[in-house]
Formats: sequence, C-alpha cells, structure tokens
Amino acid sequence: MPPSAGLERRVAGLPVKSTGEDAVRRLAAVAAYGLPMVFILVPLATFLVYSFFWVDHTEMHYDVSLLNYRRFFAEETFLRVFRQTCLLCLEVSFLTILFAYPVAYFLAGLTGRKKYVLVMMLLVPLLMSYIIKIYAIRSILGGNGFLNRALLATHLIDEPLTIFVFNLNAVLLTLTVLLIPFAILPIFLSLERIPRNLLEASADLGASNWQTFTRVIAPLSLPGVIAASTFVFVLAIGDFLTPQMVGGQSGFTFGRIIYSQFGAAFNWPFGAALSVILAIIVILAIAIGARFGSKQGIAL
Amino acid sequence: MATDRTLLELKAVSKSFGQTPVLETIDLAVRDGEFITILGPSGSGKTTILRMIGGFIEPTQGSILLDGQDITAVPINKRPFNTVFQDYALFPHMNVADNVGYGLKVRGVARAELKTRVGQALELVQLGQFALRYPAQLSGGQRQRVALARAIICQPRLILLDEPLAALDVELRRQMQSFLKDIQREIKTTFLFVTHDQEEAIAMADRICVMNSGRIQQLGSPHEVYYRPRTEFVARFFGDNNLVEGKLAAIEGRYRRIETALGSLLCATEGQPELTEAPAGRRAFAVFRPEAISLEAPRDGNANHMPGTVATVSFGGASTVAAVHLSSGSGVRQVRVKMPSQVGGARIGAGDRITLNWSADACRLVLA
Repeated sequence: MPPSAGLERRVAGLPVKSTGEDAVRRLAAVAAYGLPMVFILVPLATFLVYSFFWVDHTEMHYDVSLLNYRRFFAEETFLRVFRQTCLLCLEVSFLTILFAYPVAYFLAGLTGRKKYVLVMMLLVPLLMSYIIKIYAIRSILGGNGFLNRALLATHLIDEPLTIFVFNLNAVLLTLTVLLIPFAILPIFLSLERIPRNLLEASADLGASNWQTFTRVIAPLSLPGVIAASTFVFVLAIGDFLTPQMVGGQSGFTFGRIIYSQFGAAFNWPFGAALSVILAIIVILAIAIGARFGSKQGIAL
Repeated sequence: MATDRTLLELKAVSKSFGQTPVLETIDLAVRDGEFITILGPSGSGKTTILRMIGGFIEPTQGSILLDGQDITAVPINKRPFNTVFQDYALFPHMNVADNVGYGLKVRGVARAELKTRVGQALELVQLGQFALRYPAQLSGGQRQRVALARAIICQPRLILLDEPLAALDVELRRQMQSFLKDIQREIKTTFLFVTHDQEEAIAMADRICVMNSGRIQQLGSPHEVYYRPRTEFVARFFGDNNLVEGKLAAIEGRYRRIETALGSLLCATEGQPELTEAPAGRRAFAVFRPEAISLEAPRDGNANHMPGTVATVSFGGASTVAAVHLSSGSGVRQVRVKMPSQVGGARIGAGDRITLNWSADACRLVLA
C-alpha cells in the first residue's frame, strides 16, 4: 500500500488509530461511572429523600420533616437496640479476627500447591446460599444440635443448653462463623505481601521468632486486620437474615427493626431514616478503617 | 587492617537444592579484618556461600567455623554476623532511627545507650538528619546507607554484603564503593562482599574469590586474579583478555614456551609451579591483556612479537581499542589492543599492517 493512501494510519492492514475508538472509550467511561451511579447512588438518594417523608396511620405524607429522625433519638428502644447492635458487631469483628488470624497465618506459612488448594476451599462457603448456611449453623447450635450433643457426650453438661440458639449469643456465633472467610482473606493477603527478606533481616539482626512476629509481622499485617474487621463489621451490621433466623425474641438487632418497618409496620419513611442512620455508621466504619489502614499502609 | 588470623572458615562445604548441586565442595578461609569479595556470574554459587555463612540456609555437607568453633548449627539470630541485603530489606513501618536501632532493641539495650549508638551509626553513614524519615522517603543510596548502619550497629564480627550496589546507577555506585571501603577501614570489621561486577571487586577487595558453576576458580589479591589468572574462566572473566590456545613446550628459565597456531609465544610462569610441572604437549592458553600490547619495537629480548593487520579501531574515551588480525604461522586470530587515546586521533587505521609486541612477563599461561 502506498504510504499516502487514505487518511488513517494502518499497520498490516489494520487501523492503528480509528475514529471509532474514542466513541467506544467514551461509552465505556459513561458505563463505568454511570452504572454505579444509577444502581447504587440513586437508590441511596431515594432512601434519603424518603426518610424525610412521614406516615400517619398508613397514610403517606410527602412533605419534608425531621419527624423520623426525631423519633429515633426520642425512643429509648431504638437507641438501645442500635447500641446493642453496634456492640454485637464489634464483638463479631473481634471474634472473627481472633479465629481468622491464626488460620491466615497458618495458610501463609504453607508452601506450594497445598496453600492455594486450602485457600480455594476457604472460598467454597462463599459460593453457598446464605440461608442454607444459617440453617446448618442453627442445627448445630440447637437443643439437639451437634454442639449440645458434644457437650453432653463429654459430660460437661447434664442436659441440653438453650443459651446457644434464639438469642444474641446465637447471632454472635452465627455471624462469626459466616463471616470468618471474609476476615481470613485480607489477613492472608497482607501476610503474603510481607517481603520474606524482612523476616530474614529481622532474624539476622538477632531477633527471636517471637520478636520478629511482634515487631515486623504483626505491624505489617495490621492493614489486613483492619480491612478484615471493617469488612466483617459492615457485613454484620447490615445483616437482618441471621438475627431473624437464629435470634429469636431476644436477639433483636437494628437490621431487624429496619426490616420490620418495611414489612409489618409498613412505615417506609421511618425504615428509610433508620437505613440512612445505618448507612452513616457503615460509612464511618469504612472511613475509620481506611484512615487506620492508610496510616499503616506502607509503600512497600 | 587485615591480619593473617583466620576469622571464619568453610570446611568442605557443599550445597545442593534437591538433586541440583549449586556448590561443589569448597574450602574458604576469611581473614580477620579483610575486605573479601566473592565474585562470579549469576548462578555461580556466590550468594549461596553468603547465605550459608549468614545462616539463612544450611550446607548439605561440611562445616562452618568461627574462631575455630563449629557454628554450622547455630541459628541466624545467634550468629555474630549482620547482612546488608541486595534490596536493603529495610522495615517499611519503622523510621530510619528505628531501623538502625532494631538490632540493639531486640537485644534489650537500654534506651539511652540505644539512642547514642543509633546517633553514632547514623553519623558514620552521614544520615544524621534523616533519623525520622521512613525508608519510602529515601533515595536508593540513602537506603543503602541505612542498611549499612543497621548492620554495623551490632558490632558484628563479619558483615555480609549481598550485591548491595546492584540497584544503584553507575555514578552512585562509584561513590558507594569508596564509601563502603572507607567505612570498612574506619570500623575495622571484616567485610564479605558478593558481586558479579569485576571492576567493583577489583576496586574494593583486599582479596577476591572468583566463583564459577559452584567452584572456587581462584582466590587472591585483585592484582593476582587480574594479572595471573589460574583458570581459563578467570582469564576470560576479567575484561576482554586475549587468549590463544596452544601446546606447552620447553621451559626457559622463568618462562615457558607455548606453541600456538600463530607461532611460538614465551610466557612467564613465576608463582605458578603447576605450569612448570605440566608435561610438554599439554593443552594451554597464552593469556595477554590488550593494554599490555605495544606497537613500539621491544627493548629486551624476551618479547613476543607478531605481525598483523588492523581490522577496526574504536574510540572508547580514555582508551582506544583496535582489533588486529594476526596471520603468522598457520592460523588466523583476532586480538584486541588497547592504547591510551590521543588528542590527534589513533596512530593506526583499518588496513594498516603493524607489528604487535608484548613482553613475556605480561604473557601468562593457563592450563586448558
């Protein structure tokens, strides 16, 4: 082909820079920014708007008021459940980290194929239905469940305990078990990212294994721990299915209150207001996590 | 100052990873206070030696002795050695002062003493004002000096340096070479320095241990390994040496003749009894450095001279290198001649017929 043929530059017959490319790229950019806007921000904004409406005897009033928010801060029940739920989710975070760290550490210590096979197995529960998992855990915790039978068999107790199911303990245990994989992964990744020569350097400078762990490994895996606890906290606080299914009467959480506003109480504006409050807590948790994470976030 | 006292000794040490041997049985004695460089191409086993001394890997066989005591089984953190790692391995979550003080801190040194010694170490590496910076905020050369300060602060018996200058650019590397040398003189500690760069090794070392494919090829002063190579590998490894293959012939006093395809060459043998002991007819190489060749007529009778034709002349800054075809005898062979450059340009050009002269003392032999 003569070099001056056509306006486009072509290599091996294909246009190097086509006019269509810009249009496609622009479309992709619109999709990349637009879709999250439409599917995440718009619903959230709708909720925010709804939270300022109010309901009087099943009748919606579409005028702006702070009634719902005032109600939340005025009624002790809501505040108490709110505090209780935050506390519960902090406990869940703490417990999951407690279990997840040793597991992640063990995984990071493995070599070769074993390691990745085990990590894959860890991901299997994430592919399973949430409800099935809750049922499974409920049957473990129940009166005739595995836990009670095991305790009976070892003669630690004489009759089945009821403290494991249909209360806040059950919610705590179930959420912990359900969310452990979400905690293991970030911790595992942060441990994996620690350059091994730092451990060698630490030992070379005379540190014992324990000193290397406390002075090098623990601080360098802290971003992973913070990410994990943020994950778990956010997932736990938004959960209403687990408390619904294993919480019984006493295991009342904030998520359940919100759920009931949309169902039984049929007070969407109040439910929306409570959701906004929950969203603020979630955003706060993520912000705190990001702040601490980046403070420790070291450019390796 | 280097003494003749042996600080560290590797005795019949070998290492294989699985079935692959990376280090043949080697013996090496490190003298107290010296700057010893282990030099070799990648895969020669030089880093393996360093890592075995540091305790990061265990030898498959053999033992490592410190002051005559076997330390083969002593764990890393109990060996009185410190390492400067290739990529520095600074703790990213600690500032410079904490990095440098780490070795003292884990030993439980009191805070006041720790502070003084960290200050001293940082002064020594000229990083006093950087104590509160984090490694990510430092340049490559500065990180290097932090790594050095961190290694010397525990007053180790031996400092192991694993290609510490490889990541630096040429200019900085030169500076760091003399800086390291100065520090070593100042703190009077034994340095074991691993590198693949011959110039670096020559510039810094008291002794060079040349390694190739898991074997020690030669151990000696930079002058020795440069001018008196013992093996073909060493002869080829340092610069663009000229090697001409031939068969050993008659011994003439301090010299021995070698018959090559280009004709007979006279080579010095002093200090290398294996060259006079080898039987005549043994395959060997005559080795002569490009800079040892002169275009002037010889002044003594012990010179080698050969006619040739200049093929190319290339200007290389301080020196000019000519490739010359030698065609005496039955063979044709190209040798390199290195001359100081001159303002007026090279005296010879391509196609010139010239005679090359080099003294027998500048011509060595290595057995093939």
